[in-house]
Amino acid sequence: MNILELRHVEKVYGEHENQVRALDDINIQVKEGEFIAIVGTSGSGKSTLLNLIGGLDAPTGGEIYIRGREISSFKRKELTIFRRRNIGFVFQNYSLMPVLNVYDNVALPIAFDKGRHTRGKYIEELLRELGIWDKRKKYPNELSGGQQQRTAIARALVNKPAILLADEPTGNLDSVTTIEVIGLLKASCRKYNQTILMVTHNEGIAQTCDRIIHIEDGRISRGGSLFPEKGGDDVC
Amino acid sequence: MLKLACKYMRYYKSQTFAILASIILTASLLSGISSLLYSSQKSELANKKIMYGDWHYRIWADQEMAGEVQRGDAQESFRLAQIGIKEIRRIVREPYQVAFVSADESYMGMTHRSLTAGRYPQRADEIAADQYTLRNLGILTQPGSRVILYGEEYTLTGIVKGEWSSETDEMEIFVGDAFAGEGKQTCLYLRFEEDGKLYRQLQAFQETYRVSGEWIEANEEVVSLLGGEKPDSIYDIVKFALTDERGNFTYIVLKLQSEYNLALNGMIFLLCLFSLCVIYSIFNISAAKRTSEYGLMQTLGISGARIGGTLVFELWILFLIGYPVGCLVGNGVLNVLYQGMGAVYKEKMSGMEEAQAGEFHIAWQAMAVGFIFLFAAMAVIGFVTIHSMQKESLLQTMAGDTSFVGKSRKIYGKRHRNLANVVVRKFMFSNKKKALGILISLSIGGCVFLCATYMVENLKIHAEMSMKSDDGLGSLCSEYRVSLKSGDLSDTIPREVIDEVRNIPGLAQVYASKYSLGELTIQKNELKWDEYFDEMNQDAYYQQRFGGICVEKEDGTYGIKYDVYGYDEGMMKQLREFVLEGEISLDDLEKGNKIIVVANKDGQGNYDFYGRHPGDTVTVRVPKDLDCAKEVLKFRGEEEYYIEKEFEIAAVVSRALAQEEGFLNAEGWNGCQSLIMTNGQMEEQYGILDYRFIHASASDGADTEAVSASLLDIIGDVPKAVLKDYKAAIETQKNYLGRQQLFFTGVAAILLIISLFHIMNSVNYSILSRRREYGIIRAMGITDSGFYRMVLRTGIGYGLLADLFIFLFYNIVLRRVMDYYMAHVVQFLHFTAKVPAGITAMVMLLNLLLSVTAVMVPARKIIRTSIVSEISM
Repeated sequence: MNILELRHVEKVYGEHENQVRALDDINIQVKEGEFIAIVGTSGSGKSTLLNLIGGLDAPTGGEIYIRGREISSFKRKELTIFRRRNIGFVFQNYSLMPVLNVYDNVALPIAFDKGRHTRGKYIEELLRELGIWDKRKKYPNELSGGQQQRTAIARALVNKPAILLADEPTGNLDSVTTIEVIGLLKASCRKYNQTILMVTHNEGIAQTCDRIIHIEDGRISRGGSLFPEKGGDDVC
Repeated sequence: MLKLACKYMRYYKSQTFAILASIILTASLLSGISSLLYSSQKSELANKKIMYGDWHYRIWADQEMAGEVQRGDAQESFRLAQIGIKEIRRIVREPYQVAFVSADESYMGMTHRSLTAGRYPQRADEIAADQYTLRNLGILTQPGSRVILYGEEYTLTGIVKGEWSSETDEMEIFVGDAFAGEGKQTCLYLRFEEDGKLYRQLQAFQETYRVSGEWIEANEEVVSLLGGEKPDSIYDIVKFALTDERGNFTYIVLKLQSEYNLALNGMIFLLCLFSLCVIYSIFNISAAKRTSEYGLMQTLGISGARIGGTLVFELWILFLIGYPVGCLVGNGVLNVLYQGMGAVYKEKMSGMEEAQAGEFHIAWQAMAVGFIFLFAAMAVIGFVTIHSMQKESLLQTMAGDTSFVGKSRKIYGKRHRNLANVVVRKFMFSNKKKALGILISLSIGGCVFLCATYMVENLKIHAEMSMKSDDGLGSLCSEYRVSLKSGDLSDTIPREVIDEVRNIPGLAQVYASKYSLGELTIQKNELKWDEYFDEMNQDAYYQQRFGGICVEKEDGTYGIKYDVYGYDEGMMKQLREFVLEGEISLDDLEKGNKIIVVANKDGQGNYDFYGRHPGDTVTVRVPKDLDCAKEVLKFRGEEEYYIEKEFEIAAVVSRALAQEEGFLNAEGWNGCQSLIMTNGQMEEQYGILDYRFIHASASDGADTEAVSASLLDIIGDVPKAVLKDYKAAIETQKNYLGRQQLFFTGVAAILLIISLFHIMNSVNYSILSRRREYGIIRAMGITDSGFYRMVLRTGIGYGLLADLFIFLFYNIVLRRVMDYYMAHVVQFLHFTAKVPAGITAMVMLLNLLLSVTAVMVPARKIIRTSIVSEISM
C-alpha cells in the first residue's frame, strides 16, 4: 500500500518575470516502510519537496496523498494535527529549542497533544537507543553536532510518526557520526515500520537506502529501486 | 566601519527599526517632558509677574541718581530692559495711609496697573486710583467726576487696575507730573534682561551707580525664579550637609532645588537615564542576536575596537536620524496639546503677560544636553557590548546568544504536560538582566503616571488649603475681607456691624475673627528656633514696636509674641483640615479651656511646637485693656496690665486660616506664630468683645457690585475699616492652579502614552526576536490557536509582572520618595490624598491590555509567514 503519493506536484515561487519553478510535475509513490533517499544538486528542489510532503509549505499545483488523504483538503488546524501525529521532521540545522534541555526538546511535540500523556518510558527508551540518555539535562548549545542531531531524531520519533522526513540530517556531521546517525534512522525504520524520506547530498549514503530519487531543476530525473525492495541491504 | 554599519542596518531591518523607534520615542519623551516642565516654570514666572509685577528690583534714589540711571549708557556687565519711575509726592496718614504718587508709563506697565477706564492724570488737580482705594475713600463716581479729597477738589480722570498681591494693601492716588505735593521721593523699578544671572547684573549695577544694598528691595517672588542670588557651589553645599550639624540630605535637595533648578535639571537627568535604559534594552536584544557574527568577525582578525566602532556608528546613524525626529514629534504633539489645555484658561485672561502664561516654550537646552549625553552614552554602549563579548572565548562568542542557558537542569517534560508554558517562561526569564530591563522599561510609564497623579491629587488639596490658609490669599478663599488699617488693638469692628454684615442679601458665608497680641511663655530648653527668632529680633520694626519677638526674661524663661485669634464655628470646621495632632471640637475648647496652637515650620518642612503636644499646657498673656499704651505691647510692663491664662493644647495645626495684616505680620513678615481659640473664649478669658476682621463670600448668582456697595455702606461708620475685594485674585490664582494641575496631568499622560508606544515596541521586538524558535514550535505541530494562546500567555505574563512591579515599586519606594518630596521639598500642607483606586486599576488594566495587544500583533505576523522561512531565519 502506498503511504505517500505525489501526483503532478509543482511549486512556483514569485510572480511574472521573477517566477521560479522549484518543482515541476513531480510524481512519486512511496510504500510503507521504505527508506528513500532524495538526492540532487543544491537548489534542485529537494528540500522544497520535503517541505511540501511535510505540509510545511503548500504546493502550487498537484496533489499529495498521505495514507490516502489529500493533505490540501485539510483545514489549517487539521493539517497541523495530522502533521504532528503522522510526520516527523529532522532538519539539517537540528532546529532544537535552545531554551529547553534534551529531554524537554524531545517531549515538546507530545505536549501539544492535550489528550496524550508524556510517555516517559518511551522517551527514555528513545534517548537510550540514540545514546544520549546521559545528556538529557544538557542544553543544545552544550552538545556536539552529532548529539544535537540525535536529539532532533528522538524528537522526530517521539510521536511514532508514520513518515519521517529528514532534510540532510548528516550535512553537518563528520563521517563517523554520519554512519551512526544513518544507522539509527534505519534501525528506527525497521523497528517501527516507518517510512523515511531523506534528502542528502551524499551519494554514498543514498546508496544504502531502498530507493533513490534524483531531482534536477525541479524534476525527477531518474529513480527506481537500486536494492531489493525491503531491507535488501545489510543495514536496514 | 561606516559601510559595514550601513550594511548591517539594511540587513537587519526589523532590529534597525526597533532601535530607531526606541530612539524616536525616547527623544520625544525627553524633549516633550523637558519642554512641558520648562513651559510650566515659565508659566509660573509669568504668573508671579502678573501677581507681583514684572520688575526685579526697586531702588530708592535721589534725583541725581535717577537721572543718571535713566541716561545710563549700555553696559556689558548689566543690561536694563526697562526702568519704571514712581515718585511719592504726598502722604496722608490719617485715618489710614494714602500716598499721592506720580508714575511713568513704564512703572504702570511693569506693575500691571494699567488704566481700566479713563486716562492718566496730567494737571495738578487730576487724580486716578484703583477701585480698592476709591471705594475705601468713599469715592463711588466714574472718571470725569469732581471729587473732594482731604479738603481739596480733584477731577477723577481714570480707574487704575488694582494690585493683585494680597500682601499689599497700600492705597495710592495717582497724580500727574504737574502735581507739586509736598516733595518728591523717587523709586526706580528695574527690570534687567533675563538671559543673564540677575545677581551678577545687580552687583554690576550697584558698582556702576555706587548704590548701597540697603536701598535696594528685590521682587522676591519673581527674582527667586531667575537666579536672583549667587548660588553656592555644589561642593560647598555637599560639604555643609556632611560637616555641619544642621546639614542633611534635605538641605542638599532644597539647595539644589532653589539654586540649580533641581526639578527641571533632575528630570532631564532622569529622562536621559531612562532613555539610555530603553535604547540599551532594545540594542542589547539586537546585539545578542548577532553575537555569533561578531565572534566570526573577530576570528577573521577584525579587532574588537573596529567591531565596537561598527556598532557605535550604527547607533550614531540611527540616533542622528531618530533624535531630531523624536524631538519634533515630542514638541509638536505637546505643543498642540498644550495649546488646547492652555486655551481653557486663556479665555479667562487678557493682556500680553496673561497670554504668556499659557505659552509653550521649547527646552532647547534640555534637548542639547540630552543629545550630548545620549550621543556619548551610545559610544559607551557599543564598547561595553564588545567588552562583555571579549570576556568570552571566541568559540563561546561564535556559539551566539547563550544567555538562555540557565543553571537549572530540571526536566519539565516529565511532570508538566504543557511544555509551551515552560517555553514561554524561559523566553521571558532565561536572562534575568534582560527580563528586569524589559520589566523596568514596561513599568516606568505606569509608575510615573501614578506618581504624577499622586502629586496632582495632593496638589489639589494643598492648593485648596493654601487658598484658605495664610500661605495663599489668607482669605479663607473668601471674596471679601473687611479689616482695619490700624496698628491699635483698640480699633475693632463692633459686634453689631458683624450682625449687619451677616444680614446683607447675597452674602453666603461670613466669618468674623477677634484678635489680640499675646505672649507665650516657654522654657529656655524649649527654644529650638533661636536663629529664626534672632533674625526677627533684629528687625527694627519688631524692636521698636514690640521690644523684640522672642525676649529672655529675668526668671530665665522666654516670652514670644504671638497673634492670638478668636475664630467662629465655621472657621473652626475648616481648621480641622490643618490638624497635625489632636482634635478640634468647639465644646471641648470652650468647656475644657483648651487652645489650638500653630506649629512652627522649619525650612525643610518639619513642624514643631517647642516639643509640646495636645494635652500639654501653655501660658498666654494678652493686654488687659485693648486700649492700652504702646509700651504695653512690649510685654515689659507691670503684671496688672495683662491677663495671663493657662490653656491645655487641644490640637496642633500647620497653619492659621486668616491673619491680622498688621502687628506681627508686617514689614515683609507673614505667617507669624499664632494661637487660636473660639470667639467665645476670647470674650470669656480676655474680655474681648469686638472683632478685628471679617471674611465673606457672595452667594452664587449674587450681584457682587451690590454686595460690595452694601459692605462699604455698613463699614463706612467703622473707623479705619477697609474692604478688600479678592475676586480677581482668587480667579487668577485658581486659573494658575488649574494650569499647574494640567501640567502635571499632561506630563503624566504624555509619559504614559509614550511609554505605551515603548511597551509596544519592546514587547513586539521581544516576540519577533524569537521568530525562529516559534517557527520550530510550529513545525513541531502546535496549532495556530495553540500558538496564539502561547504568545498570549507571554503578553499576560509581561502585563501582570509589569503591574506587580508597578504596584510594589510605587507603594514601597516611589510613594515614600514622593511623600518626602511633598513634605520637605515642595512642602505641601498635607498630603492625605491617595491615587484613586480606579486610576490605579486603569493603569494596570491598560498595561495588561497593551502587553497582550503588543504580543498579538507580531504573533499574527509570524502566523502569516511560512514555517519554512521562519525556521531558516
